[in-house]
Amino acid sequence: MIKIEHLQKKYSNVTPLKDVSTEINDGDVISVIGPSGTGKSTLLRCINMLEKPTAGRIWVDGEEITDPSCDIRKIRQKMGMVFQSFNLFGHMTVIENIMLAPVKLLGKSRQEAYDKGMELLHMVGLAQKEMNYPDELSGGQKQRIAIARTLAMDPEVILLDEPTSALDPTMVGEVQSVIEELAGSGKTMMIVTHEMAFARAICNRVFFMDEGGIYEDGTPEEIFEHPVRENTQRFIWKSKILEFDIKSSNYDFRALFGEIDNFCLKNRTALKMSNHIRLVVEEMVIQLMLPVLEDPDINVTIEYSAVKENSKVTVKSNGHAFDGLRIENDLAVSVLKGIISDFHYERLDEGELRNLIIVELK
Amino acid sequence: MGRSMNLKHRIPLVVLSTFVMIAAILFFAGRIYAAGNSESTEQFATATLGVLTGTTCGTDAEKSFPEANIKYFNTLADLLEVLRSGKVDAMIMDQGTTRYLQIENDDLKMVGDVLSAIDMAPAFPKTEKGRELCEKYSEFTRKICEDGTLEEIDGIWFGRDESLRTVLDYENLPDTNGTLTIAVDASLPPFAYMKDRNVVGYDVDIAARFCEEYGYRLKVSNMSFDSILAAVETAKCDLASCGITVTEERAESMLFGEPVFKSGNIVVVSDGESAASSGGGNDNEENLSFAESIKQSFEKTFIREDRWLLFVKGIVNTLIITLLSILLGTALGFGVFMACRNGNPVANGITRVSMWLVQGMPMVVLLMVLYYIVFSKVDIAGIFVAVAGFTLTFGATVFGLLKMGVGAVDKGQYEASCALGFSDRDTFFQIILPQALPHITTAYRGEIISLIKATSVVGYIAVQDLTKMGDIVRSRTYEAFFPLIAVTVIYFVLEELLARMAGRIEVGFNPKRRTREEILKGVNTHDKN
Repeated sequence: MIKIEHLQKKYSNVTPLKDVSTEINDGDVISVIGPSGTGKSTLLRCINMLEKPTAGRIWVDGEEITDPSCDIRKIRQKMGMVFQSFNLFGHMTVIENIMLAPVKLLGKSRQEAYDKGMELLHMVGLAQKEMNYPDELSGGQKQRIAIARTLAMDPEVILLDEPTSALDPTMVGEVQSVIEELAGSGKTMMIVTHEMAFARAICNRVFFMDEGGIYEDGTPEEIFEHPVRENTQRFIWKSKILEFDIKSSNYDFRALFGEIDNFCLKNRTALKMSNHIRLVVEEMVIQLMLPVLEDPDINVTIEYSAVKENSKVTVKSNGHAFDGLRIENDLAVSVLKGIISDFHYERLDEGELRNLIIVELK
Repeated sequence: MGRSMNLKHRIPLVVLSTFVMIAAILFFAGRIYAAGNSESTEQFATATLGVLTGTTCGTDAEKSFPEANIKYFNTLADLLEVLRSGKVDAMIMDQGTTRYLQIENDDLKMVGDVLSAIDMAPAFPKTEKGRELCEKYSEFTRKICEDGTLEEIDGIWFGRDESLRTVLDYENLPDTNGTLTIAVDASLPPFAYMKDRNVVGYDVDIAARFCEEYGYRLKVSNMSFDSILAAVETAKCDLASCGITVTEERAESMLFGEPVFKSGNIVVVSDGESAASSGGGNDNEENLSFAESIKQSFEKTFIREDRWLLFVKGIVNTLIITLLSILLGTALGFGVFMACRNGNPVANGITRVSMWLVQGMPMVVLLMVLYYIVFSKVDIAGIFVAVAGFTLTFGATVFGLLKMGVGAVDKGQYEASCALGFSDRDTFFQIILPQALPHITTAYRGEIISLIKATSVVGYIAVQDLTKMGDIVRSRTYEAFFPLIAVTVIYFVLEELLARMAGRIEVGFNPKRRTREEILKGVNTHDKN
């Protein structure tokens, strides 16, 4: 249905899309998620050429739309778009907004367009608003009309660019229910959204976007339950990170502990959790590693997931290989017993810091 | 009239009038050339003196009264008004004009010697054609001077018998040798002025007689005095003659023929006592009630000599200029906006420079540049140059308004329309423009009003619009206020009319005023509701 090859979009100061290649199949309902500024909307807007790609090629139904000779208007007619800010035509009534394109572009009779428009208005629950102007409607109503306007063209693909982001929380539901119904109708859809539960409920495929491209692509189960890649995990689990380097045995640990306390406070971890993180750092770094390292170079990453309510402490250091089992035993017998849910030691094959220890805390 | 009452309480005038009385007696004794009386003009050394713009009086005044405060006025009517109201103590005026003024204005008195003897002569462009015509004209002047015709003409235009003051039907003379265009400022009686909707006068009389003798038809182009000199320099006319004083400086840029009138600039004062009887010659004017004086002014301004026809002609010209400029200017502004809309750098560059030029220039300067420089070689009526000038400025305004209106429409509207599959053109006309127009219609209406008012300067390029007609009438009636207020009232009426028209359009542009039936035209809704 849609094929994208090495798509790139560059602005003078940022490059939201570095290199995107993917294929979207007929009937796919794709949720596009990811942190802000990662090019989710840009990707959507490139697919209907509202943004002109800097490089790369896109095919829709076998036709290359990035080819300058392509009549993009014809493609756009079968590719509806729903905007975050609705963009209903302010000088027209609701029914005119819906009738305009079918009459002018598809050559439908006014009667035909009207009948279809009213049918769609019934579907989105706003038949009685046909004679109202957009500025007389609430945000949720406007967005439902915008969806009806898109559907009036009977598009093969519907692109939804954060359709509920501009809405009052009380109106999100009415729009989501319309989109949900649409998702079940078998149309190809791509929806950029920040509503994870909603994204998961309606789609059969998820694009997690980061680092200028589709960072991870999978089914909702794969992405939401078992994300594989680091950034996806952090995003899905809403992880927050604190990282620091220790390069001397005279390191100011008082300041570091203060920072850890702040980090925990900010992320509203349990008081217990904050103490446990401190303990782990103290035990591993001060008690176990510093005494045996001549010229210490230790990197510590603390990660706290709000979703899973757990923490992970990753320590990388230079020096000889540790005896993994011994560390575990030492830790286990000392104060940490009972607070560690998982322990992992690995000797890496390359790099400066070849000792990798990962501790998970409950 | 009311103002004359106030005058009596002005002490300086009372003092002045004493001198004026003496001057008057001496004056009547010696008529014009006997102005070399013992009366001294020393009293005016530090006085406020009024002069007419564009005449040599200003220079003479500066030379003779270096300490005096000299004020410039554009029309004789204004000058007389300030003289009578005491805003100036005296005016400097040439004897010829003064003699004429004295026919109807007993209060005017000449004081002292002539400041400088002056010759008044027709002016010709410094071209081959101009030189030829100048020679013929001078020959003719010498001839009528010798055979006494000139004296006879003098008697007609400076005499008291109004009925004698007519000229040949110069517009219908046989054009055996072509048509001559003479530039005059028809607000300078007796040299050139409007009477019964025709331009007549001493100079026009001579020109008509010349044309009759030499087989020309005469066409009179009426413009402000400032413009006459420019018109001669740029050969916009064949000659100019309306009491033009010969000066060395002027002779550098134009050719002067044989003088047709010998005169001199002299100090003129108003004798406050008889000022009240000015204008109509009605001795009982002082005792008229306010309503009666209004009635009399109305009669003088509109009824006498069918002057209302002048106003009608002025209104028509003002309306032609305004309406055509609105139409063409809107089309121009819209066209330029469309050319610049998609950011074509060439179109944008040209537009920026032209807008800068057109909007930065005072309207009068723009019109004069167009008339005397850009279209100097083209024989084009001033009214079309006026339309061109106002089309340019109005176009620039419309361009700016459109830019503002379109800029006020959310970018999302454009995107939504494109995303539906509309072309750029359709998007603009169906989505953007209808939403941009309501933002600008109010400002557009204001600009139309401004335009009507702005057209009042077209007198500079020989167009007889409403304002110019008002000036012409004032130069005949010497009433400062009534014609001005009458003109203002007419402007108000015109503005109101145009504003209403524009208001109609505004309503038409408002999509929310449509009824349900209009919106759903051609759709059967019953089966659905």
